[in-house]
Amino acid sequence: MMGSQKNVYFTITASIIGFMVAIQFQTVSEPVVRDTRDTWELRNDLMSEKEIESELLQEIQTFEDTLAKYEDEREQSKGKLLKETLNELKNEAGMTDVSGPGITLTIRPIINEIGREVQMAYISPSLLQRLLNELNMYGAKYVSIDEQRVISTTVIRDIGTVTKIDGHSLNRLPIVIKVITEDEEKAERLFKRMEISPVVEDFNMDSLKVELSNPEENITIPGYKDPIRIRYMEPADNGVGGDG
Amino acid sequence: MWLPLMGLIIGVIIGLLTDIRIPAEYSNYLSIAILAALDTLFGGIRAQLQNIYDEKVFVSGFFFNILLAASLAFLGVHLGVDLYLAAVFAFGVRLFQNIAVIRRILLTKWTSSGEK
Repeated sequence: MMGSQKNVYFTITASIIGFMVAIQFQTVSEPVVRDTRDTWELRNDLMSEKEIESELLQEIQTFEDTLAKYEDEREQSKGKLLKETLNELKNEAGMTDVSGPGITLTIRPIINEIGREVQMAYISPSLLQRLLNELNMYGAKYVSIDEQRVISTTVIRDIGTVTKIDGHSLNRLPIVIKVITEDEEKAERLFKRMEISPVVEDFNMDSLKVELSNPEENITIPGYKDPIRIRYMEPADNGVGGDG
Repeated sequence: MWLPLMGLIIGVIIGLLTDIRIPAEYSNYLSIAILAALDTLFGGIRAQLQNIYDEKVFVSGFFFNILLAASLAFLGVHLGVDLYLAAVFAFGVRLFQNIAVIRRILLTKWTSSGEK
């Protein structure tokens, strides 16, 4: 059948053409809506668009502000961290006032048989050092002698017959030694230890008497007042110190 | 006679349903191709009416014209000359001629059948 075959060809061709036409239509007829706005409508639209623009700009502004704030905070938090560390280190070095539970020891001259105080206001450095050692041994955390904070570099020594602690003369009795411990339980224990301590006896030999106060809940010890001079210390190389 | 028309409609429907869209820069080629295809189709109809139809010529002409038109347009784009206008012109002229021939043949057929 010649005719039907011809028709098939025509049909196929026609459908291909139709397909192409449809695609072309869809492609070309994208802008369906024609712009028919007049000047005032355009103006209004422009206004609203500008409003949107300014809103967006404002939004950007706020976001940038927030960003700046966050970055500021980050910087500050760095500074805060450093400050905290500094405070911690100061605390550890004994530069700050501390308070807590503890006991006070008062060193005064003993009263002799005729009822008068023996005026022999001399505390030997070795005795004081022994007392300090004893205190430290039994749980003292912070110690001050006559309102002088005892830190790791504190020196107690004889300078021209006067015992001095970091340059402060201990020639005026009574001398108050304040001791702060970790907690009240430790203060209690320290108190009991000191009660039976042989060092107290040694003080008696120097005509001095150590009075122990009962453990108190809150004792304040001043910080070290002078700058700590470091003359022979050097920072360790990074990584050698163990924390690098 | 109605089958090609149905084919055309089916093609359009399929094309609309598939929702295919070609990039805008290629729509030129497609329009040229459509023109070429239409030219071939009407040429085929005319040939059939003149009884000189040859399906090999028709089918090969269909695809060859499409490809030629598209490649002409492509060349034109790359040469910076609007060569596709040549294709549009050629196909347009041939389209008109073919349709005129078809109309005349149909007219003579109609008048001769009216005289009978």
